[in-house]
Amino acid sequence: MKKAVIAALVLVLAGAGIGWGLSAPTRMSAQDAALLKVGDAARGELVFWAGGCASCHAAKSANGEDLFRLGGGLRLETPFGVFVAPNISPSQADGIGAWSLVDFANAMTHGTSPDGENLYPAFPYTSYARMSGTDLGDLFAFLNSLPAVEGKAAPHELGFPFNIRRGLGLWKRLYLDPAPVIAAPESGVEADRTLWERGRYLAEGPGHCGECHTPRDFAGGLVLADWLGGAPAPTGEGKIPNITPVEGGFGSWSAADIAYYLESGFTPEYDSVGGEMVHVQENMARLPASDREAIAAYLKALPPVGTTSN
Amino acid sequence: MHILRKAVALSLIAGLGLAGAVAQAAADPIATRQAIMSSVGAAAGLGGGMMKGEIAYTPAAGKAAITTMRAASLSYGNFFPAGSDHASSDAADAVWNDAEGFAAQLAKFAVAAAAAAEASGKSGPADIDAFKAVFGPVLGTCKSCHETYRKQN
Repeated sequence: MKKAVIAALVLVLAGAGIGWGLSAPTRMSAQDAALLKVGDAARGELVFWAGGCASCHAAKSANGEDLFRLGGGLRLETPFGVFVAPNISPSQADGIGAWSLVDFANAMTHGTSPDGENLYPAFPYTSYARMSGTDLGDLFAFLNSLPAVEGKAAPHELGFPFNIRRGLGLWKRLYLDPAPVIAAPESGVEADRTLWERGRYLAEGPGHCGECHTPRDFAGGLVLADWLGGAPAPTGEGKIPNITPVEGGFGSWSAADIAYYLESGFTPEYDSVGGEMVHVQENMARLPASDREAIAAYLKALPPVGTTSN
Repeated sequence: MHILRKAVALSLIAGLGLAGAVAQAAADPIATRQAIMSSVGAAAGLGGGMMKGEIAYTPAAGKAAITTMRAASLSYGNFFPAGSDHASSDAADAVWNDAEGFAAQLAKFAVAAAAAAEASGKSGPADIDAFKAVFGPVLGTCKSCHETYRKQN
């Protein structure tokens, strides 16, 4: 009897130990970290727009120069609770001014803070994990050139069990994967391979399109089988459209239509962009035309999801 | 005589139809505002098509696009009575929760459309550059309103 109790206890402790181990925050390897170097701030500005940093980390209706004041505070009201975007300005006390480039890269690609805590995936590191070391180095240089904003943002408002950061370690094991989602252009679609690869990098990596346009499962992980196939809006009212080339839906948009929409905010029918996509479109409009063409080429060569759009 | 009777009957039917449509505007504000917004979409399509060079520019077409925008900007806001936030409508809750902000967006639309109407004169902007200069700012007011006051779609 006593032996059985001890055996059970050992099993429970082993289980807890494994769970504890599996939920530990991960970091990039020493070799990868050694390859990083602080890059060029001017190139980093393009990465900044591609990544949409200001859309969450600047003030809610910021415009012009205020888009460079990244004090955080935007509230994302989701089914898991309210996430509040933190201060990522170069403030030493309240922002990320004290972070090293490796700290920054670990946050961007592993969702792990310099203190070794798991970050919530409302910060889309699940996409940023696909970013190149060069882009991370350039972005880091650009962020450090921006004005320091004093004051920490409010804490997240999350209920149990989502308020336990350690548990996110398990979530990351399931859902954090830097591999590309789409291996190759859909067969039968003519695609310039270099342009397509650039589009895939922008859309799956910094552009983090999948975070809103792909449905999530009960645990908040992206359902990759329905990649970019549309989803309920993660915040606010309405839905996010299916942007795969389905017949009777987004498939009727030409690559030029997509590029024009990203530049001007107008659909082929001259409806205007709306909702959270307004920020995204305005960010995309700041990229070189070739990048908008690349995203269009990638979207046109996606596997279609479902049979109807929206 | 026979023809006259037919004409009277036809005009009566037409009159009844019009009366029915007028009654609908009061009874169905959602259908009314959606009809107004589709006229805005058509005007944007005409104007945008000319700006892109897909449709040949004429001053009459420019004027049609501008005056449609002008009429819509003056009437659109009157068809959002309390309680008309139906599932068939793309209007976001913010239209009613933040009525002041919505009114400010409508005012921006009206100001841009009025300036365009003023500049277009009797026969419409003379050439595509004159048209672009006044119609561009009207199109520019679409997304700032759709950002907050339309459901994501």
